Amino acid sequence: MMSELSAQSVQIVFAGIILLFGIGLIGLMITRNLIKIVILLQLMAKAAILGMALAGNVAGKPGLGQSLAVTVIVVDTVVAVIALALAVQVQKTWGTLDLKDLSTLRR
Amino acid sequence: MSVNSAVVMIFLPLIMAPVIYLFGRAVEKTRPEWITTAVNSAALLVMAVMWIPYVLTVRQFAVNGPIELVYGEVSLVVDGVSLLLAAVALALGTLVVFYSKAQMSGKLGDEKYYSSVIAMTGMIIGLGCANDLFNLWVWFEGMAVSSYLLVVFYRDRPSALEAGVKYLVQSAIGSVTVLIGIALVFAYTGEVGFEALAAANLATPVLLGVGALFTIGFGVKIALVPMHTWLPDAHAQAPSGISALLSGVVIEAGLIALLRVLGVLSGDVMPSWGVLLMVLAAVNMLLGNLMALRQKQVKRLLAYSSLSHVGYMLLGIGIAIYAGQPGGAQGGLFHLVSHGMMKGLAFLAAGALIYAASGASHDTSQDHGLTLSDLDGAARRYPFTALALSIAVLGLGGLPPLVGFMSKWQIFVAGFEAQSVAVAALVVFAALNSVLSLAYYAPMVNAVYRRQPSAAIAGGVDLPVSMQIPMAVLTLAVIAVGFWPRLVYWLIVPAGSALSAAFGG
Repeated sequence: MMSELSAQSVQIVFAGIILLFGIGLIGLMITRNLIKIVILLQLMAKAAILGMALAGNVAGKPGLGQSLAVTVIVVDTVVAVIALALAVQVQKTWGTLDLKDLSTLRR
Repeated sequence: MSVNSAVVMIFLPLIMAPVIYLFGRAVEKTRPEWITTAVNSAALLVMAVMWIPYVLTVRQFAVNGPIELVYGEVSLVVDGVSLLLAAVALALGTLVVFYSKAQMSGKLGDEKYYSSVIAMTGMIIGLGCANDLFNLWVWFEGMAVSSYLLVVFYRDRPSALEAGVKYLVQSAIGSVTVLIGIALVFAYTGEVGFEALAAANLATPVLLGVGALFTIGFGVKIALVPMHTWLPDAHAQAPSGISALLSGVVIEAGLIALLRVLGVLSGDVMPSWGVLLMVLAAVNMLLGNLMALRQKQVKRLLAYSSLSHVGYMLLGIGIAIYAGQPGGAQGGLFHLVSHGMMKGLAFLAAGALIYAASGASHDTSQDHGLTLSDLDGAARRYPFTALALSIAVLGLGGLPPLVGFMSKWQIFVAGFEAQSVAVAALVVFAALNSVLSLAYYAPMVNAVYRRQPSAAIAGGVDLPVSMQIPMAVLTLAVIAVGFWPRLVYWLIVPAGSALSAAFGG
């Protein structure tokens, strides 16, 4: 099949997944800007999409893997839209996108 | 023909949610003064109609056993667990739509509210029926998306926005974790279907790693302890009807999703899932209770008490997996149902008092957090709501004639039948936690009945009948099922055996 990957390219894609996921997770820990948070969440979701496509290839079912990846893209877009709508509303209500300023709820 | 009832049960809410939205927009343009009543009645009609395919599906299930629906490569299976989850979601959804009429009147966007509630109910019903990992994730994410919209319904209220941001970010990380887990399972086996995976032999390290990813991912929604920080904010800031749904169904739906996944990943590591669930249960019970003890706001207190009740459900199911006690699974699922009723009632009653105290102003930009001292003397002004709240919290605390006692009792009995010192110690710990929880439930009842009315309560408005009927229904249910637990056995027994079968019991 055309989409068979060599062992080396599987490793490269796998490293890419870990890198994307790691950047997303570490970024989420250090940033407090809502727009950046949405972008970092998207990075993590992209790692998962890449993972789906790679898993399909490794398991010998590239078609299934790709269709799962496309579905993840669709669902993930919905989440991104809601997150951005939330960011717009936060900016309107609070006048800032910095989450450090949002702390009315006590633990 | 008869197969169609299950199809209708799953897809009717998903079709009706956009219809309700469009209907609301159309009414808003032509007859703005009708919108509240019209949209509420339409949503209530949809919820009422959804019971017809549900009842037909239950009867079909009783005759033929699990119902499988096949669409090309995707299949959905309606079994005991699906019917249990669907029953809780439909019952609470219907009551919440009924309850919300007064709360939503005069507010912008009530068509969005009702269509999101219907969509969320539909997604939960679908989640119970999913038969492969990926399908499960899609329904789970659909449920999460509709609940984001509902948590931030008061979108001009800063605290609600903050709760919504927290909830969305944590949930999104959880869902990515689940996806990575699915990708790993798919890469190792080439399968995502539950039957195929249960037959596949995965190596132990892979099973443990994937199980950890799923526990973390779904654990965000279930509010397992390190991942629980969104829950008190989201539950306290959502409209009260939504708090009831979030606490009564959504976290339980996450629990069912986790159990489905762990059930197919059993292999030879199955007893360790039981241990894992029991340890998480102990942590959840203790932390939930300790945090609830120091809350000042009623809704935050109830939200933290949800943490401890998730612990009881996990304990029952953990006992079932670890010791092969089917009674534990039944007890855990019974507690799922009884917690839905009791916590739903508690949030609806607290919401009614918030509605009363905020008066007729309907000011959505302010957070009318009802504090514990505002509860003082509520029984003088609102005798019925006070009774409902008291019955709900005493049931949650596990007082004997009420349903909360019955479900906890069943879990504890299964624990002692397991004949293991560690499990028995854990059951004693759970019972002590139950006593500890009375330390914050009992003062609420005391304040409601024995103190002089607080300013907020004394100046409150009358409660509409549309709020009191759902509370009356739930109060009766909490008392009736407490006296006759057999009333819900038709739901719990098939669900318990389906769950035990998944874990090889």
